[in-house]
Amino acid sequence: MKKTKFFSWAIVVLMAAGLLSAAQAFGEPQGKLTMFHAGSLSVPFKAMEKTFEAKYPKVDLQREAAGSQACARKVTDLKKPCDIMASADYKVIDKLLIPNYADWNVRFATNQLVLCYTEKSKDANQVNKDNWFQILAKKGIVWGHSDPNLDPCGYRALMVLQLAEKHYKQPGLYEKLLANRPKANIRPKSVELVSLLQTGNMDYAWEYLSVAVQHGLKYILLPDEINLGNYQFDKFYSQAVVKVTGKKPGTFMEMKGGSVTYGITMIKNAPNREAAVAFLKYMLDPQGGLKVLKDQGQPPFVPCRIPSAKMKALIPGELQGLVEVKN
Amino acid sequence: MRRNELFFWMTVSFSLLIMAFILIPLIRMMTAPSFSGLQEAFRDEEVMRSIWLSIYTAGWAALISFVLGTPLAYLLARVDFAGKRLVESIIDLPIVIPHPVVGIAILGVAGRGSWVGEILADLGIRIMGSVTGIVTVLTFVGLPFYVKAAKEGFESISPRLERVSRNLGASMFHTFFRITFPLAWRSLFIGLIMCAARAISEFGAVVVVAYHPMIAPVMIYERFEAYGLKYSQPVAVWLVSICLLLFLLLRFLTLRRKIEI
Repeated sequence: MKKTKFFSWAIVVLMAAGLLSAAQAFGEPQGKLTMFHAGSLSVPFKAMEKTFEAKYPKVDLQREAAGSQACARKVTDLKKPCDIMASADYKVIDKLLIPNYADWNVRFATNQLVLCYTEKSKDANQVNKDNWFQILAKKGIVWGHSDPNLDPCGYRALMVLQLAEKHYKQPGLYEKLLANRPKANIRPKSVELVSLLQTGNMDYAWEYLSVAVQHGLKYILLPDEINLGNYQFDKFYSQAVVKVTGKKPGTFMEMKGGSVTYGITMIKNAPNREAAVAFLKYMLDPQGGLKVLKDQGQPPFVPCRIPSAKMKALIPGELQGLVEVKN
Repeated sequence: MRRNELFFWMTVSFSLLIMAFILIPLIRMMTAPSFSGLQEAFRDEEVMRSIWLSIYTAGWAALISFVLGTPLAYLLARVDFAGKRLVESIIDLPIVIPHPVVGIAILGVAGRGSWVGEILADLGIRIMGSVTGIVTVLTFVGLPFYVKAAKEGFESISPRLERVSRNLGASMFHTFFRITFPLAWRSLFIGLIMCAARAISEFGAVVVVAYHPMIAPVMIYERFEAYGLKYSQPVAVWLVSICLLLFLLLRFLTLRRKIEI
């Protein structure tokens, strides 16, 4: 009698253990996790990938870096399967992905524009935050920015120039500077300008501070009034207006100045939702991904922000504690 | 081959598979844009300018490969020398190097801040963001295709014919231009077409060296990123159709010439 009791208990315990391990196998994220992200996030995301994959060895995070707009196009036009998309301008997610391809948009970091150069650049030993605009206007100086139609960093660079005209009280500065920047000095995305700087083909290029830090470039920090890095100056920034291409060739729309705000979202029919949530949980954690961003010269929002309570209700439950409603 | 054997049908079915593999995606792409989209792109000056720039620069790349590559191809076909294998693998290098690396390498050597670049700049030649730069890159990637085709062409002509000409008192110079060159012409021409075709399709290396002025592949990319597939596909369709037409025409002309010889 005792024996049978022992056996039945043993069976119950075994079954429970089996169920538990099965549940664990189900609960543990695994497989391929696809992420499209802005080129300027490549270095911090690479570091995050390493930590994340050490934590979840069964997940293979596959990242594709491109211009933010291109990332969105891969989802909307090419219908490429994707779990997470991170943009250098949160507006790209609002404009192209919501409502058809994504429900929510979390703002997770800021950045600011800096003027990069190397020791080989012309006038490298004189340039500073008070004379950079005179140097960029000089003949023989080669400087550039990324394509405003494709890359947020491109239109933001133009905004900085417009704001500099106002801040330094130099009427006509914007036109004067652009006159000294032939179209040949434009590249599709800002990270591509780095190799031009390093090979000496360009003297100065507009980049995000984080990119400058990560590539070991020299850079000029600009005052908060014009660097697009401080959202308290959003009202001043909004005076800058850049015309970029619209929805079809030949049409245009106006981009208004605003602080640099990065956005991230999960794609609606994400093929690996479980792993995506696990990654976002790690990434939006002040001790996790946000700390990596901070160390790489890119100030995160702690906690991350979501514009409305209605949108907050749409994000996965596991992430609720990591965001606050703040517009 | 005997038709009633399994082997024959195996070869046929594999060949059909390959045809489908190449044609289905292309046909899909060619038929995707609407007629009005195609019309719009055709009337778009920027689109047509980029397609002509593509053909123009690829044409130059083929011409430069022809002038510079023919002597090398002839040498490789006729002379055995130590290190010949090495030279042949060096010629193949541009095929295997990743395209953006080609662009960066060319800028590194011929751009600003290098002595070659400084000399070029003094001569008023600019590589970055110029048609010269595009032609340089396209020649780099297209050259191997020409040299290989030309070499095979020269190899297929018996050296005996050249010897006869030399014995009859013609100089090497005359022998080459009167005997070898006319006989090899067809192979050289096919090499030129291959070289130009390779050049027209190049994107990765060009976009590093010159985003503006835009060649067609760069514009297809720019249109896709800025406006989506709807506006980039028509550009691709026009590029492919115009190039196909040109190449067919060239092939047709060379085929006829073969009959004349």
